Amino acid sequence: MYAAATSVALVGGDARPVRVEAHVGRQSEAFKLSGLPDTAVREAKDRVRAAVASSGIRFPNRTVTVNLAPADLPKSGTDYDLPIALGILAASREIPPLHDAVVVGELALDGAIRPGSNAFGAGVLSARQKVPCLVASSVAGEAAAIPGATAYGVASLAAAVDLIRGGLGTVEPARPGGCVLGEKPPDLADIRGQPMARRALEVAAAGGHHLLMHGPPGSGKTMLARRIVGILPPLRLEEAVETAMLWAAAGRRRGLVVTPPFRAPHHTASKAALVGGGSGNPVPGEVSLAHRGTLFLDELAEFPRSHLDTLRQPLEEGVVSVARRGSSVDFPATFQLLAATNACPCGFYGDGRRPCECRPAILGRYRSRISGPLLDRFDLIVRVARVEAAEYTGPRGETSESVAARVNRARAAQTKRGQVNRHLEVGDSVESKAAAELVASAVSVGVLTARGADRVRRVARTIADLAGVDRVEEEHMAEAIGLRGEWRDE
Amino acid sequence: MSDLRLICKDGPGYPEGLLDLEDPPPLYVLGETTTAPGVAVVGTRKCTRYGMSLADGFGHALAGAGWTTVSGLARGIDAAAHRGTLRGKGRAVAVLGSGVDVVYPVENTHLYQSILAGQGAIMSEYPPGTRPDRWRFPARNRIIAGISSAVVVVEAGEKGGALITARLAAEMGRPVLVVPGDVDRLASVGCNRLIRDGALPVLGVDDLLTELELILGRRPNQASPPNGVIPQAGVPVEDLPELWGCSPGEALARLARMEVAGEARRAGDVVLPGSG
Repeated sequence: MYAAATSVALVGGDARPVRVEAHVGRQSEAFKLSGLPDTAVREAKDRVRAAVASSGIRFPNRTVTVNLAPADLPKSGTDYDLPIALGILAASREIPPLHDAVVVGELALDGAIRPGSNAFGAGVLSARQKVPCLVASSVAGEAAAIPGATAYGVASLAAAVDLIRGGLGTVEPARPGGCVLGEKPPDLADIRGQPMARRALEVAAAGGHHLLMHGPPGSGKTMLARRIVGILPPLRLEEAVETAMLWAAAGRRRGLVVTPPFRAPHHTASKAALVGGGSGNPVPGEVSLAHRGTLFLDELAEFPRSHLDTLRQPLEEGVVSVARRGSSVDFPATFQLLAATNACPCGFYGDGRRPCECRPAILGRYRSRISGPLLDRFDLIVRVARVEAAEYTGPRGETSESVAARVNRARAAQTKRGQVNRHLEVGDSVESKAAAELVASAVSVGVLTARGADRVRRVARTIADLAGVDRVEEEHMAEAIGLRGEWRDE
Repeated sequence: MSDLRLICKDGPGYPEGLLDLEDPPPLYVLGETTTAPGVAVVGTRKCTRYGMSLADGFGHALAGAGWTTVSGLARGIDAAAHRGTLRGKGRAVAVLGSGVDVVYPVENTHLYQSILAGQGAIMSEYPPGTRPDRWRFPARNRIIAGISSAVVVVEAGEKGGALITARLAAEMGRPVLVVPGDVDRLASVGCNRLIRDGALPVLGVDDLLTELELILGRRPNQASPPNGVIPQAGVPVEDLPELWGCSPGEALARLARMEVAGEARRAGDVVLPGSG
């Protein structure tokens, strides 16, 4: 007797259907599981048997064979518990066939259903294949929020059995829900003084520009960086789904959160932790967890250069390929890069209050740890100065809310043009004659390099967007020139 | 003489600091009056070349930081401080011991005119036409001390007006900052004594600005001049908005224009006046 259920595997941050085939044979009692299961999947056998028994349903005392197809795709996690259980029950004719419904959920031994991590994948498949999905009731709202998805929430195996016996079409599916703002990010108003750095952060947020901050220790670089979340526009629904899936693939539940992700891996993080990898089924790394959000690298110069070089592909292409023997998996990784570093190993270069104690040779070596190609990615490089004592007691800064309003407007203008200004081809930017002349003469007198001019023009476009105008005027270009900074050639 | 004004202690525009005097005098003023805080830069007429260049640098730096420089239009240190201030496009106030229309010494006529042509002012408690008599000068010094928030003595001999100004300022509770000098240099004897008596030694242009900020609080927020002024000693980029009294965006834009025009240059993230 044979039956099958559909479930989900997350591959490269995308949902792929997994066919859960169950066969109940005539031989004596046994339970076989095939299809590249990892340990968690293999242990499903015990959970399923116990959960079925706890639910007052007969578990077949025959040979049970379960195969997860495609058999060459590694399966991991506990989400296959429920489809395995339902597949077996369908095969033993305890319940009617499941047809195409996508089923995910972890079983507790008493038959309760835990959310697991793939409810999003189920919702995405449900929407794509126009089939219903069956998930834990606590996450059904999140799956149902995916446009086009039909989700049913079940709290226990018994409830799932009842639902299938009654027919999915006879009850109302879960209502969309669970779209949340996430934790309230820290507010920019906490930052006193730092007018230039605040402006740079605003411009970076508005144009999605990669931003490098350097300055003495304790000047507030990290504090500033963490506050970008509060001024970025919220994720669109499909973006929230994308990020939630990537997080789920990394084994983390994020929920359908519309606050852009902010990831701050430590400089001791492994290459695999940064860009993805791991044994068995590749898992997305920090660059993908930061997809549609911000990747913050504190102490950038402390990261091993080889690790930083792996960022080049995601920075250029918005995806990261994790190579495996015989295949490679692509994870989306479109993120805004924020980085902070001390100006030199001792941290006091250019501080003005305290002399730098680094020898010139060491200083040069430190600076060159950030490779040229990576450095070229930063449209904005700013110095963050130490906050003077007088400013600690100064008035609170502008709030995130009011900065976010400007950023939102600027982003809306870019959405209309089709891309964030980080990716802008400078030829496409509409500039006034005076603006074009200013940047041209800045190049001719040596204030800017040709490459620097491109960066300045992208930033000027963002400044004009912040001001709410279609054409880049001279004042926008001038501010962009003023905002440029150096790292190498100080 | 059309814009000559007389301001009295109860009237508008009267320098608040003068109310600390026992007998706040009425003032004849040419040029623009202001209640903006001033810093007096004073010293001997018989100064050294070193003292002159220092006074000039102080005047320039004070202008850059938005302070009004107050001095007495005398030869030597006074004149150098005024010149530095004007070079920094700052506000210079000269308090005379004669009538405001009587230039003394005559060699400073050009300076006198430049002060009036800028945003500066010429003040005196004596009616126009009053001759510069020797005995009027010490009295004039109490006005310099009164209208200033701090007094900087660049060079002073054993006796002299600068020491009187310093003493009066100290009595009024104004901080007195003094440039130390060689112990055997005549033009520094008075200075070194002031330091021994408890005045604050000044160790350079930056030190002066730092000390002033520490003692008097924030730098005055200058009404933003049409062209940004960059102190000779340089200024970190991030201090420009405060220095010029404008938004970060405007400060950056202005800086960029100055860079392109060769009026400013950057060394790392410090902005220096252009070489040209």
